[in-house]
Amino acid sequence: MLEKKGYLELPFAWLFAIVAGAFILFLAIFFATKLINLEQTSIDAQTGKEIGILLNPLETSFEAGKTTSFIMPVDTRIYNKCNNKGIFGRQIIQISQKSFNKWTETDLEVGFSNKYIFSENYTEGKKFYLFSKPFEFPFKISDLIYMTSSNKIYCFKDPPLNIEEELASLNQGNIRINNCSGESIKICFSGGSECEVDVNYEYKWVIRNSEKVYFEKDALMYAAIFSDKKTYECQLKRLMQRVNQLALLYQDKADFVSKAGCESNLKQDLLMLSNSASDFEDSSNLGVLAINVESIKDKNNFADCELW
Amino acid sequence: MLNQLKTKIILQIVSYGKMKNRKAQLKIKQMTFMLIAVTLFFALVGMFVLVIKFSDIREAATELEERNAMLLVSKLANSPEFSCGGAFDTPRLNCIDADKVMILRQHIEKYNDFWGVSNIEIRKIYPAANSEILCTLENYPNCNIIRLRSKEIIGADLSNFISLCRKEPYEGDYYNKCELARIMVSYEEK
Repeated sequence: MLEKKGYLELPFAWLFAIVAGAFILFLAIFFATKLINLEQTSIDAQTGKEIGILLNPLETSFEAGKTTSFIMPVDTRIYNKCNNKGIFGRQIIQISQKSFNKWTETDLEVGFSNKYIFSENYTEGKKFYLFSKPFEFPFKISDLIYMTSSNKIYCFKDPPLNIEEELASLNQGNIRINNCSGESIKICFSGGSECEVDVNYEYKWVIRNSEKVYFEKDALMYAAIFSDKKTYECQLKRLMQRVNQLALLYQDKADFVSKAGCESNLKQDLLMLSNSASDFEDSSNLGVLAINVESIKDKNNFADCELW
Repeated sequence: MLNQLKTKIILQIVSYGKMKNRKAQLKIKQMTFMLIAVTLFFALVGMFVLVIKFSDIREAATELEERNAMLLVSKLANSPEFSCGGAFDTPRLNCIDADKVMILRQHIEKYNDFWGVSNIEIRKIYPAANSEILCTLENYPNCNIIRLRSKEIIGADLSNFISLCRKEPYEGDYYNKCELARIMVSYEEK
């Protein structure tokens, strides 16, 4: 009986070693997992920052538009977020990459104050196209960047001639004109069934997912086509925040150059523009603002001393 | 006699038991020290790995800052806060409106972290000046350095050639004056 009991008994040293060994192993696995997650988060953050930096060359001078593309080594989701906090608001990029067939989860965000990216909530794929176009209102505000994935084909049906020529000159891999295939996203300029996006070029509105947004200038039309309503309205508000600041800058410049004998007589109009831009709520306000903008543009063009 | 022998045997057994107990205690102590040593070793290795990882991240961050500055400096002149636009007759490439930059300098606190660089400086290089004079609203345009933030350029910097234009008064009127300059962008090394 005693012998049997002894057979089952483990020496204390062994028991202690097993428990301690298991604890050390658990700690090692726990920290290794944490380290892998940290590494993944760091890669996602670096990728986000790199994408933001890659957007710098898209700043245009006199060109009508610029296009470029980049390829990621693995399937990637680029989340496009935006906020209006502060003076200029912020463009936020969040990256999620496929690792072991699962999307990495990260709450790390990379932000930029001087970028305006128009895309859906997230863009997924390996190859991404970037196309930029300057937005003037009435002076240059910024270059708007439209980001799309090569996984999605955008087909423009019956666009106006100037849009058709511009798109053709871009030669972007995922844009088709009139020759639409079944799985492509159809953007219709003269109505019709099976259209994902409806554009009214004359009355300046775009309907996407049954949501209507308004635009002024071609740069904002592309923005409305390629992005969802939430992103479009948020980025538009950020653009108006910049209009407000630039109008104040030009207003001070008007004062400054008048000392050199250069009179522009635009101070009052710029103050009005700055106020309207700071009161801007959503795209439905664009039409009224555009009338003011056109008048300022004409005044500047015919002024003795052009401010921009 | 028998009792004495019994007591002696009992004493021997007790002392053997004590000795065995002491041996076991020693073994546990040895094991504990060993475990502490192993844990410390792994902790040190872990810390070493973390230090390497964090220095890699810091290096990558500096590299990204440098790349940002490099790409930015070549395009900054086209940014609406700097560019000449059509204010100087014909639109010019890589042209900075000095009057606008002087105003921007007054509002620079609004542009904190706007371009993601620590400082921006514009230096006139032709016609060359004898001394370096920092521009203020009082001495402008008789100066040759426009520093957007008052702090000195520290860390690394990258530059690009530009034309720096302004409206110059002349006999009750004005004319457009453009000079050769260099725009310098500095970034902080992490």
